[in-house]
Amino acid sequence: MDYILHLATLVIIYAILGLSLNLVVGYTGLLASGHAAFYGIGAYSTAILTTSLGVNFFASMAAGIAASAGAAFLIGAVLSRFDGDYYALVSLGFNVIIYSVFLNWHGLTRGPLGIPGVPRPALFGMDFSSGVFFLALAACFLALTFLAARFVARSSFGRVLKSIREDEKAIQVFGYNTVYFKLAIFVISAGMAAVAGSLVASYINFVDPSSFTVMESVFILAIIIFGGLSSLKGSVIGALVLVLLPEALRFAGFPQAIAAQMRHVVYGLFLVVLMLYRPQGLFGEFKL
Amino acid sequence: MTKTDAILKTKGLTKRFDGVRAVDDLSISIAKGKVTSVIGPNGSGKTTLTNVLSGLAEIDGGCVVLHGTVTLKKIRPFDMPSYGMARTFQEVRLFEQMPVIDNVLVVLTERSVFGALFERHGAFHERQAEEALKKVGLWEKRGGLASGLSYGQRKLLEIARVLAVSAGRQMDIIIFDEPFAGLFPKMVKTVSSIIRELRDEGRTVILIEHNMDLIRELSDHVIVMDSGRFLAEGSPAEVLERRDVIEAYLGE
Amino acid sequence: MEILSQLILNGVMAGALYALMALGFNLIYGVTRFFNLAHGVLAAIGGYAFFTLSKMLGLNIYLSVATGVAIAGLAGYGFDRLVYSKLRKRKASNLVLLVASLGVFTTAQAALSIIFTSQFQTLSETAGQEALSVLGGVVTRTQVIIIFSSLASMLGLAALLNGTSFGKAVRAISDDEEVARMVGINTGRVTGYVFFIGSALAGLAGILVGFDTGIQPTMGMGLLLKGVIASIIGGVGNIYGGVLGAFLLGLVENLGIWMIPGEWKDAVSFLLLIVFLVFRPQGIIKR
Repeated sequence: MDYILHLATLVIIYAILGLSLNLVVGYTGLLASGHAAFYGIGAYSTAILTTSLGVNFFASMAAGIAASAGAAFLIGAVLSRFDGDYYALVSLGFNVIIYSVFLNWHGLTRGPLGIPGVPRPALFGMDFSSGVFFLALAACFLALTFLAARFVARSSFGRVLKSIREDEKAIQVFGYNTVYFKLAIFVISAGMAAVAGSLVASYINFVDPSSFTVMESVFILAIIIFGGLSSLKGSVIGALVLVLLPEALRFAGFPQAIAAQMRHVVYGLFLVVLMLYRPQGLFGEFKL
Repeated sequence: MTKTDAILKTKGLTKRFDGVRAVDDLSISIAKGKVTSVIGPNGSGKTTLTNVLSGLAEIDGGCVVLHGTVTLKKIRPFDMPSYGMARTFQEVRLFEQMPVIDNVLVVLTERSVFGALFERHGAFHERQAEEALKKVGLWEKRGGLASGLSYGQRKLLEIARVLAVSAGRQMDIIIFDEPFAGLFPKMVKTVSSIIRELRDEGRTVILIEHNMDLIRELSDHVIVMDSGRFLAEGSPAEVLERRDVIEAYLGE
Repeated sequence: MEILSQLILNGVMAGALYALMALGFNLIYGVTRFFNLAHGVLAAIGGYAFFTLSKMLGLNIYLSVATGVAIAGLAGYGFDRLVYSKLRKRKASNLVLLVASLGVFTTAQAALSIIFTSQFQTLSETAGQEALSVLGGVVTRTQVIIIFSSLASMLGLAALLNGTSFGKAVRAISDDEEVARMVGINTGRVTGYVFFIGSALAGLAGILVGFDTGIQPTMGMGLLLKGVIASIIGGVGNIYGGVLGAFLLGLVENLGIWMIPGEWKDAVSFLLLIVFLVFRPQGIIKR
């Protein structure tokens, strides 16, 4: 039972990451390959604020969203002038740099040791520390993220994003300063990723740099490409399948360290095979 | 043409690509409320001119004067509507993986990020889109993806997009870059009547075209370009008879 | 003063390694027009191939280097045949190729971790032992080898590109693939060879890094970034620009850590990239 609760919580966290990334990759057609950086900023914000300052979980999440959105604003100001290869590369590079910040800024992050003892949330005397309650809380955040993503996708703004994906120059001629639109969705997406980060820090009670590598970003990318680009439903189902699938490896009896790497092999191959045979994924409205 | 009725002028406009002057020291005037055709052999710089005017290619020299008062040395593409300009593309540029109706709606909505984020298209936008799509005969196709349209329909959808944006935002200058190429006769009729209608509404049309019959039929004024430079201008009847113009075409 | 010349020497050394990465990356970019994000993992493959041959099987060191480089080249060639060439044939968009290359990178890096564990391995027992004094700075013999093999590869590649019909074909494809195909160049085959050569250069870089410090399955991403940053600041698709960019990057990075701790090297190089993207996105030498 605990195991099922654990998997369900993980699926929810990755579904939030998938939804947020899909806004940039699926709707806007920009291959943001550093999503784990914003996930990590959210996680570290919660870990640092709750453990060393005793801040409430929900306040730490708000701070995480702000920090992540702020970082996205800074890097996005440069990134949004580009698309295609450069966008992918610079966002990837940003992930590597944020990872090295987590690893090397010992004073703030304790480096490779990580930060233990991150508490579970509590609000108005309600305690979410039990698995079921935490799952319910995470599900609420997933629902909120889903609604927010849907609100964005269905607005006029969302339609402009899609037109940027299809032909950025053509939509510019009709009066849209596309750089601002690209920047805005990048910041929104980063803020949502921070929500998932806060949740995971509190859920695992621990953060360390190894959870926020480029490999993690590629995993989130695999989730949304498998589920289908510019399909919100697809992101949730993609998270479900790709989180559960590698669990089979655990039952196949591989040792822990190998199983983790096997997981990377599985979704790496998954991406290659999808690109070769079904680039639009399961429910994709947008074919890369 | 007197100075006062020129809505758009270029003064010594120059655009270079790798040392080649695609538009070379070009000074022309476009009259307000008329259809002006820009013609010339392939590679004479017509399409480069439209790209420079719409900000897709940077100006290397000279300037553009709008409404006799606004002098532009640098044009940013997204400023087009605020200068009252809209255009179609020679190589059709639709939003392929979006429904036909969204291709039109997207040019009608809020331009600012925050405005667009808290806006959903209203009945008003839908009416404008409907009107534009009906004019080009694509209203029945509104639900399908733009990528599913035939070549001619795609060109018509581009024109619908321009019609919609110009109806909503009072565009004064509309550039059509070879709108007739590859169209069936019935579609040609639709497009030429649209161009005439726009002129009758008092809008200025800049038409890039190869078909001499259509040029004779539609234009009030013709400007001939050759190798990026100005060659001749005048009424269609007189320009198309001129020896140097015919030579420029035959010499290509 | 001694610190300064030491930092400059270190910068040149780093530049030589980055140049190898940039050369291969640019060569492949020139003919395929996409950022091969799996380019870095070939350095790791080269390093581990050498490690297996020389350390585990006890093969002669020169033979091991040659075979290791060839294995990296073959791996790159294989990735192209199995994945990229098929996507290109289908006229897949750049985004598809980018995602596929991320998939290749992830798979290959994880496979290396499974086979060799994530342990850090050094390749040379003599690393850092025999020190030579140059212009007030100290270089190890390994580092001299790095500089010379890097320079030799650059000259060899330049000769290959300028003096052979293969080089002519590569340049023709870089200019315009359609035209190249029309004049009868087998673009698929030439692209395959380019993948082999570019990946072999990455493999060499991987082995040299192993001599200098050591290898790890995750070494590829960092090297890829350095190679691409060097290419971008030098001018993407311009092979000589990439080399120039590589030495500039190596120097800036090493002089940058004069004032701040060494672990921020990567951040310095990323900052340099951002500065170029903002002020001169076309790089030093415009293609």
